[in-house]
Amino acid sequence: MTSQVLPDDDAATGAVRELFGAAAVPARITYGCNRECSVDVSEPEFALAIPWLASRKFVLISLFCVEGFREGAGHFLLYVFERKGSILILVRNITGARATSIATIFPSATWPERECRDGFGIGFDGAFDTRRLFLHESYPAGFHPLEKSFSNTPITTTTTMGATTEYQFRTVTGEGVYQVPVGPVHAGIIEPGHFRFSVIGETVFNLEIRLFYTHRGIEKLAEGKNPHDCLKIAEAVSGDESVANATGFCMAVERSSGITVPDHAWYLRTILCESERICSHLGDLAGMLTDVAFPLGASQFAVLREEMARENERLTGSRFLRGMLCIGGVNHDIPADALAGFRDFLVQFRKQCKIGLSIVLSTPSVIDRFSQTGIIKKPLLRPLNITGPAARASGGAVDVRVNHPYGTYDRFSPAPHILRDGDVLARFTVKAAEIMDSLDLINRVIDAMPDGAIKSEDPIRDGCAFALVESARGQNLCWVWVQEGKISRYKIRTASYCNWLALEHAVPGNIIADFPVINKSLNLSYAGTDL
Amino acid sequence: MVNAFSCLLKKKVTETRPLPDEETERLGREIKQEIDARFGRSLAIRELDAGSDNAAEIEINNLLNAFYDVERFGITFVASPRHADVLLVTGAVTHNMEIAVRKTYDAMPSPKFVVAVGDDACDGGIYKGTYAVLSGADKILPVDLKIPGNPPTPTQILTGLLALMRTAGKKP
Repeated sequence: MTSQVLPDDDAATGAVRELFGAAAVPARITYGCNRECSVDVSEPEFALAIPWLASRKFVLISLFCVEGFREGAGHFLLYVFERKGSILILVRNITGARATSIATIFPSATWPERECRDGFGIGFDGAFDTRRLFLHESYPAGFHPLEKSFSNTPITTTTTMGATTEYQFRTVTGEGVYQVPVGPVHAGIIEPGHFRFSVIGETVFNLEIRLFYTHRGIEKLAEGKNPHDCLKIAEAVSGDESVANATGFCMAVERSSGITVPDHAWYLRTILCESERICSHLGDLAGMLTDVAFPLGASQFAVLREEMARENERLTGSRFLRGMLCIGGVNHDIPADALAGFRDFLVQFRKQCKIGLSIVLSTPSVIDRFSQTGIIKKPLLRPLNITGPAARASGGAVDVRVNHPYGTYDRFSPAPHILRDGDVLARFTVKAAEIMDSLDLINRVIDAMPDGAIKSEDPIRDGCAFALVESARGQNLCWVWVQEGKISRYKIRTASYCNWLALEHAVPGNIIADFPVINKSLNLSYAGTDL
Repeated sequence: MVNAFSCLLKKKVTETRPLPDEETERLGREIKQEIDARFGRSLAIRELDAGSDNAAEIEINNLLNAFYDVERFGITFVASPRHADVLLVTGAVTHNMEIAVRKTYDAMPSPKFVVAVGDDACDGGIYKGTYAVLSGADKILPVDLKIPGNPPTPTQILTGLLALMRTAGKKP
């Protein structure tokens, strides 16, 4: 941890001064290496702080539990708030595995609280939802895998489900209301999840989403591992976010160890991050068009995506850009002539993108299906911490690359693409604009590519740090705590985890046949949520 | 007002396929031969994510893009396991998916084949021996073929399917 002087207008520091007095500012704040401002709070202070923070428009971006953090036993809950590019962390030491719930004030705490209950057995007083989250009913009662006392070994679960043990969905009753259960195995080639629609006629009245079918125990798996070996795990969080999650993990370890990544490596990382974003967005555009039955447009983008995947393989040896990142930099260099070839490829690529877009945006039947479908309203952004292109299409100026620039993004800032409509069309347009923007960014980065080493050989030191990265889907948060050279806790919260709740709000009022396109317009990762 | 007849007479909007890919063409021809001979010209595949990280799904989806376009070889991806000849399982089987995986397999009519796609589905991969997964797909399903890779490329998946077709006729 390094201390540094911050300007007075930093929102997090201001909040601490306001809440705990002027004396608390130098005395109690620890500034993390990410300029985040961390304060240990007592229970009465916590109770005072929560409504105050809510009224001052702080956003709860994550909540998670760490066992044995700081000196002393017991569980520590870390509440991470964001406001105007500054981060405030309240560290709350709880005893007896009980805490008060804040889900009624900060709705984005609902899932994390349930997650802490499953993982560590912490009960939240006053919580309105006490159902299990990532441990489904087949797991035995009293099993809490993230506790340090549990060593990661196979367990026995029940394979039959009685009516009394089944998960209780919210029931919507009334004349003519019926339920449509979908999943966990879906009709297409996609990941598993359960959607419970309550429908009146054709119109969806309520949607409840149940996930965590692909819960693989990522966080526990990382425990006790050498940080270098953990990169594979970070890349496996979500296949199409491999680079983003690996970047987040590397950044956290590098920051807590004081490793400076050479410029050349950061430039290469930026190219990888942006290539991944382009691939992901192209898949989304193609998917949205497939879901409104417009294969002519869809195949344009599917072809471009395949071309990009092949180009990725040519540059890095992996279609998913895996195995490139390492702590301290990148594993292999990309030679200058390969980069020059990539730039030439992108010239053609951009032309093809534009052709595809002009086909789509001049087709009235597509616009008709996209427009006014699946609206996410702006007032939802803050309480649910909706992030990424989904937020930008609803008028939210949120982008980690702009708000918390990392790596080279302070020099190569993406242009903001913010629309207000919040419908599928807006998300389509934002993603299309971001593809063009990422192409520009890659070009600028290649032009300015400095020479130098590809990685730093500095050793990894003990400590903990945060990292925020902008994946294709939005803000991914990663917190890594290294103790005695091993990972003690690896917490990852992907953008999908936040945006699933946006889907629950976007779908009601639409007809059930529009669900696939609304779902695809958000394109959330099940694996990245389920961990 | 659009005249319906003018649509019929207008030049069709088509494009030449992006790249002639010899490897894919050869694989496709051979698969088509096998499918024609053994599966009455059509092989129906149901994809099942049992706990993957979605990379394998993306590659399986890519089999349908214009570069591979496997439907022309007689391969179709179907929505229901009741229509399927082959179950493509990706990912290590998680406890949360176990019941759904069993139900999906049971819903398929015989004869049926199971193919594990990707390292995790083959033997549990990095999740082997941890609390949340049972292990590879062969722990609960009779796996006929394993296609390793992290994830395997579309071409590798096609190569695997060809190998399956060649052994399929010999299954009792």
